[in-house]
Amino acid sequence: MNTALAVRLGPLALANPILTASGTFGYGLEFTDFVDLSGLGGLCTKGLSLKPHAGNAPPRICETPAGMLNAIGLQNVGIEVFLAEKLPKLRALGATVIANVWGDLEEDYATVVRALEGAEGIAAIELNISCPNVLQGGMLFGNSPPLTRSLVSRVRAATKRPLIVKLSPNAPDLVESARAAREGGADILSLVNTFVGMAIDPETARPRISFGTGGLSGPAIRPLAVRMVYQVARALPDVPLMGIGGIAELSDVLEFLAAGAAAVQVGTANFKDPGISGRLVSELAAYCLARGTTPADLVGRAHRAGAAGGDAGAEG
Amino acid sequence: MKADHRATLLRRQSFSPGLFSVTFHCPGLADAIAPGQFAMVDVPDRLRPYLRRAYSVADSDAGSGTVEFLLKTIGRGTAALEEMPVGAGVRLLGPLGNTFTVSDLPRGARVAIVAGGIGAAPFPALLKALAGSGVVCDLYFGGRHARELSLQSRFDGLVSGETILTTDDGSLGEKGFVTQALARRLSAGARYARVFACGPMPMFGALAKVVGGAGLSAEFSTEAEMGCGFGACLGCVIPGTEKPFVVSCSEGPILSPEKIRW
Repeated sequence: MNTALAVRLGPLALANPILTASGTFGYGLEFTDFVDLSGLGGLCTKGLSLKPHAGNAPPRICETPAGMLNAIGLQNVGIEVFLAEKLPKLRALGATVIANVWGDLEEDYATVVRALEGAEGIAAIELNISCPNVLQGGMLFGNSPPLTRSLVSRVRAATKRPLIVKLSPNAPDLVESARAAREGGADILSLVNTFVGMAIDPETARPRISFGTGGLSGPAIRPLAVRMVYQVARALPDVPLMGIGGIAELSDVLEFLAAGAAAVQVGTANFKDPGISGRLVSELAAYCLARGTTPADLVGRAHRAGAAGGDAGAEG
Repeated sequence: MKADHRATLLRRQSFSPGLFSVTFHCPGLADAIAPGQFAMVDVPDRLRPYLRRAYSVADSDAGSGTVEFLLKTIGRGTAALEEMPVGAGVRLLGPLGNTFTVSDLPRGARVAIVAGGIGAAPFPALLKALAGSGVVCDLYFGGRHARELSLQSRFDGLVSGETILTTDDGSLGEKGFVTQALARRLSAGARYARVFACGPMPMFGALAKVVGGAGLSAEFSTEAEMGCGFGACLGCVIPGTEKPFVVSCSEGPILSPEKIRW
């Protein structure tokens, strides 16, 4: 293991800062032909719920300029199957597993987290309070700071593991959401989930996705996500962040680190280029070696360099 | 094993405007692929189209290391391949998905292939495999009009049985739907050990009734817009009978019609 890339995000120590984002990496096992899972900083599982969940009716995805819309609707095998069939294989492969969890109600989240608490081989919990593609739960929690605070503190009491809260870019005030998650007891914040978008077939005038709206991801959202990471890093400089949003090459990783993320999650690019996450680890290692630097040194450089021009913290 | 292969465009053949085949040099994939499987094609522009395109492999030859796709120009992905210069490179992720089932068919058995329009795409390789097993095959090939059947020339010498052409407008072959042509022959006493089919959803729906009514074994090569092609994004689901949704790319694309909720 190359220890030169090691990073620490609060209580969570990772071999390197390259992770894969929930919903874009299945249960990890779909990628074993393309990536050595043990070489990643970590992988975030498909959002897990107490019971198996069927997800939304098709069509569920649609390509958009430099990205895609999706409304999968959190289809997943449920924690029982995850623990019995997926997790043992991930452990055998040496993967650093972050369990992404969701529920309809506050109590559902806590129940899932409690059920995972006894399992070996889960490095951290990531709370999905930001899925835009379900009618209950998900983003409803993330868009209200009081609900966020209450949910996170409830889950906080249910686990000793490092707790990551994945924020919604659709929240009215992302910094307030971040603050609420931190006050509730989040160790780490990951941002951002997808942006609510819509595509309409001009012939039929019907939405291209059966759910109507979908979450926009891919390189199209990168500047929005970088701005949000920068903003939260500035407002809450002591909170470790994982940056997510359209990462597809090494320069994108460096950009998010500079904005203040201590680690990143690669998302939609995994669909197009299933080996990308492993290659980014190698490319980051080569970059750090050539420059005589470490990922930790690269975090927050944009803040030290000073914001150019207008106030990047402002919404307008 | 699935892998992301580099491939070079060797040649393109046009059948009629918007209907063409592209043949790539891609020995790794040519060695590994079986009839019915597909590849996710990454055309060179990095951002638009952004996602790869899922195309059934029409034919492959391990000796020359070639892989061929039959395509109809519909969107950006197919348009890019129609214009791509010979010698240009793409990436082919594959082999992906399951395969048509041939091995259980006895020598001398008779099967039918039912193709609607560009649904003919996966069948050259299947016809070669069937011929290799001594299975006789009738090809039912339907389209809206004669031009849609221009791909027919790609099947010259491959069909061991009868070729039945149909067009909606009667401009070539029998007038009507390809499923009606099959139904007529079944009621006249034709029997098939299996029906292999690929085409648009309305054709599949009609065909499911025909083969269900006749109690025939059938395998449909399903189509759904795919994000990844290997079961990670869950974007390409089809309503199922045994469970709410079947994942077309990783549980298919070849599915028996009784697994699909019509």
